Amino acid sequence: MMKIKKFAGLGVVTLLTALNPAKAQDDVLVLDDDVQFDGDFAFDDDLFSSAFDGDSSANTSSWLDDFTIKISQQVSGQINNHGVEIAPGFSLPRQAELETNRLGVNIRYQNAFAPGWLLQASAQVRIYLNDDYQYRAEGGSIDIETRGNELFLQRSFDQHSIKLGRQTVVWGETSGNSVLDVINTTEFRDFNIIDIEDARLNQWMLVWDYFGEDSNFSSFVNLYPEFNPPAVRGSPFFFEPEFNITDYDRDSSLLFEAGTQWRKSFEGSDISFMVAYLFENQLRFEDPINQMGDAVAENNDFFLLGFSANRAIGKLLLNFDLAYSHDVLADSFNFPGTASLANPVNLKKDQIGTSMGFEYAISNDQSVSLGIQAQMLLDEDEGLLPGQSLLNDGVFGSWLMRYSNTLMNSDLDISWTLQGDLAANSLLALVGADYTINDNWAVGGQIIGIASNEESPLLFFAEDVRLSATVTYSF
Amino acid sequence: MHGNIFSKGLISLVAALFLIPLQGIAQDLSGREIMEKLEDNRRATSNSALSRMQLSTCKFGVREGKISCAERPRVKSLESVGKGYGVDLKDTRSVAILLDPPAERGIGMLSFVYDEGARDNETWLYLSALGRVKRIASGSSDDETEPGSMFGSEFTTEDQDTGKLDEYEINLLEETTEAGREVWKIETIPNEERARQSRYSRTVLYVDKERFVELRIEMYDQYGKEIKRMLGARVELMNGIWVARSTTIMNLVTNRLSNMAFLEMHTGIDVPDEFLTQRTLTDAAFRETELEKLRAQID
Repeated sequence: MMKIKKFAGLGVVTLLTALNPAKAQDDVLVLDDDVQFDGDFAFDDDLFSSAFDGDSSANTSSWLDDFTIKISQQVSGQINNHGVEIAPGFSLPRQAELETNRLGVNIRYQNAFAPGWLLQASAQVRIYLNDDYQYRAEGGSIDIETRGNELFLQRSFDQHSIKLGRQTVVWGETSGNSVLDVINTTEFRDFNIIDIEDARLNQWMLVWDYFGEDSNFSSFVNLYPEFNPPAVRGSPFFFEPEFNITDYDRDSSLLFEAGTQWRKSFEGSDISFMVAYLFENQLRFEDPINQMGDAVAENNDFFLLGFSANRAIGKLLLNFDLAYSHDVLADSFNFPGTASLANPVNLKKDQIGTSMGFEYAISNDQSVSLGIQAQMLLDEDEGLLPGQSLLNDGVFGSWLMRYSNTLMNSDLDISWTLQGDLAANSLLALVGADYTINDNWAVGGQIIGIASNEESPLLFFAEDVRLSATVTYSF
Repeated sequence: MHGNIFSKGLISLVAALFLIPLQGIAQDLSGREIMEKLEDNRRATSNSALSRMQLSTCKFGVREGKISCAERPRVKSLESVGKGYGVDLKDTRSVAILLDPPAERGIGMLSFVYDEGARDNETWLYLSALGRVKRIASGSSDDETEPGSMFGSEFTTEDQDTGKLDEYEINLLEETTEAGREVWKIETIPNEERARQSRYSRTVLYVDKERFVELRIEMYDQYGKEIKRMLGARVELMNGIWVARSTTIMNLVTNRLSNMAFLEMHTGIDVPDEFLTQRTLTDAAFRETELEKLRAQID
């Protein structure tokens, strides 16, 4: 890990520069919203004449046009001093503290370098500054982390398209919590990432799309399936395990995943059927033999059959996903020392799940959506020893509700998100505001509150209130 | 030289001979017929067409008695390809791809606009962050709201629609002048079915009598209040079609305006059907290759 101190002040510079937005035009009488335009009013189209001045510039391109770069500085922290009673008489103090203070650079490159060919890549650099949890985990020094995201080469010809490299494959119609969105792994490192779109990780895959006259096929093969990474030491989600959690030991075994989706569009509706052979993204960790050494990570393969559909009715869009999973591990969410099964066994079961919801465009600027995900293990008691119970019994799942409103010339985007589990054991509420200063600069802030009872893993974060702010420069 | 003058004179004479009866016919056109011609002209701008546009949006105010932007406009540039389908090519399929600003580059929108009133228009959007094509439900709206906007501007899918004339009462109100041009003033009132899906209870159009281009459109809500006004300017002949190269729409409720500047418009382009599908949104290699082929037709 590199340790560079000089970057510490860059975030401050970034912040100060952003607070000096492009100056609004002077001497313009801003009208009230209730002003009446009863008669004619003068409008001079020369206001936009400059659009026609630069016609010739459209044909001048530079290799730099293929790059999109975003630099962001983010600070966030837990602001509510309180205690969480995790057992009768035992309260865990939760102090207000800064959790993240990081400078990020995201680079995206897309270049159709020859007819039918495309190279796309994206990467990110994170610099963890003073008081960031990763800064503290590194013993109080600035830490730099780099990560490659996308990197694929695409060849399109006739009705075919082949993509080879790191990429994502997204299945399902329901936004945010589809039961079919299980191809790629995810990393929810801290509470700054709660949208699956931001948490999805790329994997090395070969994707073949066939675009037929009436319907499309999309198939993938993944010869190096990866798994959800464990929580980073120091992050809010990190808890000291009883045994050390290591990366999955692949040995010499060849792991692969494969699947295909058939998709067809009708007037007002799209439908898809899918089938896949997959590994569960979440590893199961077992205590080591003889209770010595590292925890043992176990993977699990399963088959997935799926169906998804949407239906647009005016401004209402209905979404539906259905998943049947054969041979999923009933206890796959066990962590060392927290297993609900006294002796984890390879208890494989079938599972049926659905996610459904709607999106409604209230107006040009406002929209609301709701997604409910529900899953159930079939024959859940079969194979259990007396006294054993599953982590998830009966119907379990989550719901997600979002409302967004754009204001001020679409410069201000305010959103409310509520997320909870079906058993009503926890609730996460988020209010966010993103303000676009100009085409380059943007600022954002969000506040997240969590409520939970002792039945939910979110108990450790009950009554937490987190505040975050981000400044972004894109070019 | 003489030949040239002679040719021009002959052409003028022939044109005059044709124009006089044409204008005579034009005077006798009904409101419905004018609207049909207007829509034919509109469709011609998107039928087998490749266009490059700039979309500017700002909050407006008044400076020295004139409407002016009260802030620096947000500018997006986009490229659009369209083609006519169905009976008399009255349905339109089009795809628009954002070129700028960088943060929105590559966002694409596929639209199917149907002439028939009973068929809701369809829109799909591709957002790279989402990783998939998303159908947008924006086919209709109630009286209090308006349908989906075009890339965050004041132009909505309803403002861009063609067709569905059977669902309107069309009245030719008068012949007058607008921006120094002779125009027909026409009002369109949606029937009950259409009114449920439109924000406007009445629209008044000022149509250039010679060029069949709207120079001004006023949109009224259910209370008779003008809520939007669209102004067409820089009317020029592009590829044989009269086009308002600069169209500004003002939202008189929110005091926001958007200007759409047609920087380039090329018609008669051979657009393959495959290009106007969801593939163009997701398959960037295919899209860029096909766009190059379309651009090559211009050259």
